[in-house]
Amino acid sequence: MEKGIFSLLAGNLQQFIQYTGFANASWGHILMICIGLLFIYLAIKKDWEPMLLVPIGFGIIVGNIPFFPGLQIGVYEQGSVLNILYGGVIQGWYPPLIFLGIGAMTDFSALISNPKLLLIGAAAQFGIFGAYAIALLMGFSASDAGAIGIIGGADGPTAIFLSSRLAPNLVGAIAVSAYSYMALVPVIQPPVMRLFTTHKERLIRMKPPRAVSQLEKILFPIIGFLLTGFIVPSGLPLLGMLFFGNLLKESGVTRRLAETARGPLIDVITILIGLTVGASTQADKFLQLTSVYIFILGAASFVIATTAGVLFVKLFNVFLKEGNKINPLIGNAGVSAVPDSARVSNNVGLEYDKTNYLLMHAMGPNVAGVIGSAVAAGILLGFLT
Amino acid sequence: MKKTLKIFLLLGFLFAGLKLSAQSQEDMRLNEFLVLNTNDFEDDFGHKSGWIELFNSSYGTVNIGGCYLTNDPNNLTKYVIPKGDVLTKISPRQHILFWADNKPFRGTFHLNFELMDSKEILFIASDGHTIIDRVNISHDLLDSNVSYGRTFDGVGDKIGKEGWQVMERTSPSTNNEGVDRIPPGVLIKKVDPYGVIMAFTAMSVVFLALILLYVVFKNIGKYNIRKNRQRSEVAAAASGKPQVANVSAEIYAAIATALHVYSQDNESHDIENTILTISKVTKNYSPWSSKIYTLRETPHKK
Repeated sequence: MEKGIFSLLAGNLQQFIQYTGFANASWGHILMICIGLLFIYLAIKKDWEPMLLVPIGFGIIVGNIPFFPGLQIGVYEQGSVLNILYGGVIQGWYPPLIFLGIGAMTDFSALISNPKLLLIGAAAQFGIFGAYAIALLMGFSASDAGAIGIIGGADGPTAIFLSSRLAPNLVGAIAVSAYSYMALVPVIQPPVMRLFTTHKERLIRMKPPRAVSQLEKILFPIIGFLLTGFIVPSGLPLLGMLFFGNLLKESGVTRRLAETARGPLIDVITILIGLTVGASTQADKFLQLTSVYIFILGAASFVIATTAGVLFVKLFNVFLKEGNKINPLIGNAGVSAVPDSARVSNNVGLEYDKTNYLLMHAMGPNVAGVIGSAVAAGILLGFLT
Repeated sequence: MKKTLKIFLLLGFLFAGLKLSAQSQEDMRLNEFLVLNTNDFEDDFGHKSGWIELFNSSYGTVNIGGCYLTNDPNNLTKYVIPKGDVLTKISPRQHILFWADNKPFRGTFHLNFELMDSKEILFIASDGHTIIDRVNISHDLLDSNVSYGRTFDGVGDKIGKEGWQVMERTSPSTNNEGVDRIPPGVLIKKVDPYGVIMAFTAMSVVFLALILLYVVFKNIGKYNIRKNRQRSEVAAAASGKPQVANVSAEIYAAIATALHVYSQDNESHDIENTILTISKVTKNYSPWSSKIYTLRETPHKK
């Protein structure tokens, strides 16, 4: 009898041990957990995109706790809580909701007062297609290359939205890569900006933006959506939400809705998207050569986008009259990492002239980059599906 | 008067509803058919017979209950598709198959005619006379187990034969082009292996979209500036004061800040009576640290 109880207990204990993380751990899991911890460290200690890196970092740890498969707990196990939450990523409905919040918190005044800055936002999208071309050369399929290229748009929600449609198996790597490089914008962009500009160009002072009327602010999301929506209907989920959110903000009569969109709603979605994207980086899915390539291509796309933005401004200046010239240091802001890249423009500008504040000017191409990357995502979606 | 208006509105809605229903049925297409079936798809009874495939070309569900299928242009209501069968609600972009076996007693999807002796197939709306789609049967083109269908689902002339072909293989209840369809991504990589065409095309579209926005808002801005100038001229003329042209947003911001500060009672003075310094101040007493302000006053006894 006693033997029976002991053997039963021993059997149960053995089964319990088999279910523990220790029994199922691999070096991959440990490495990924270390990466998650690094993200949390960078977010807290270095203040690098903490709103994103804390949820993603913790999500990486959550997703890499080793477990016995089949217990409906993993992010890739049908019906598990994480799997249900991950549905918002895979089916692509988190990113448009984030765009709604972004629209409700973005002030397009700088762009409206100087609409030629829109073109810088367009030029910087060359990073997407540059990375797309390199990815094709590296042997990726066109769909995978499109999903990887969008990292160059420097827009996390857009990258997740497009990759969930074109390459669902790469969502984790693409999202982590996109957000990592967005956090590294202050490191990646300044050397490129200095490389392609002369001392004289860095000192260019731009005209202060004019005051923009309320009517113009209301018209912008409506006309902006009609124009871009008709040209790229496949970008509707992102563009529609972005401009709708902005109309809520600017209409002046939907203050509560705008506050919800840019406050609690975007916070909830950011938590869910960060945690689930992080959790999707399970070691067995993430630790592959493809992920390394994606990170290399991501870095390349950011460099190409920054270069294209800066060089485009230089080219543009050839056609502009003296006094109307644009400081090429705001060319980097064409990528849509709002407001980090605009802040980089400002900081680099201040290094050369302590009284030349470029922040407001750089916000123009910066928000144009959001529109441009959404349009580019729509085009890729239209071409590749 | 109000009653009459209500009746008219009701009739209007009713008419609109009928019209919408008819419009939905209009989206149905004859998509593929097989005349002689000896070695192809079997029905639920295990019999092989000719079939007709319909396709819902719209992005909404269409109920074809009450519509008609016929092989006789002189008898448009030959086979009525029964109403009330949930299976007659065709989901968006989906197919439905009818067996032309002349055995209607076998169910909703078994017709009361065969295709062997037919020259034409017609799909008729529920009003019994509107021909939604029709196709001629070219018996000389069709061997046994060879179907005739639209190259791409639902694409081609609504009434006619353009866009139809003898199919390489039958595809009952599924996409006609799906079997041999190359995914767009694969096709693009084949024609544009270096991504140059894609980059050029896509960047052109991005620029086009943003240039359009630029042009529109450039002109809206100009109009706005002109209007503001006119308004300020009118206001200046009325007040007799000189007008200020091209005031930048920074100046407005400075004025707004000054007004805001002025509106605060404790900030309404221009000349400060204190000095801001980083040097140590020897004055020990400050009203900010006075205990009297941090203690509650003892209640007075009356």
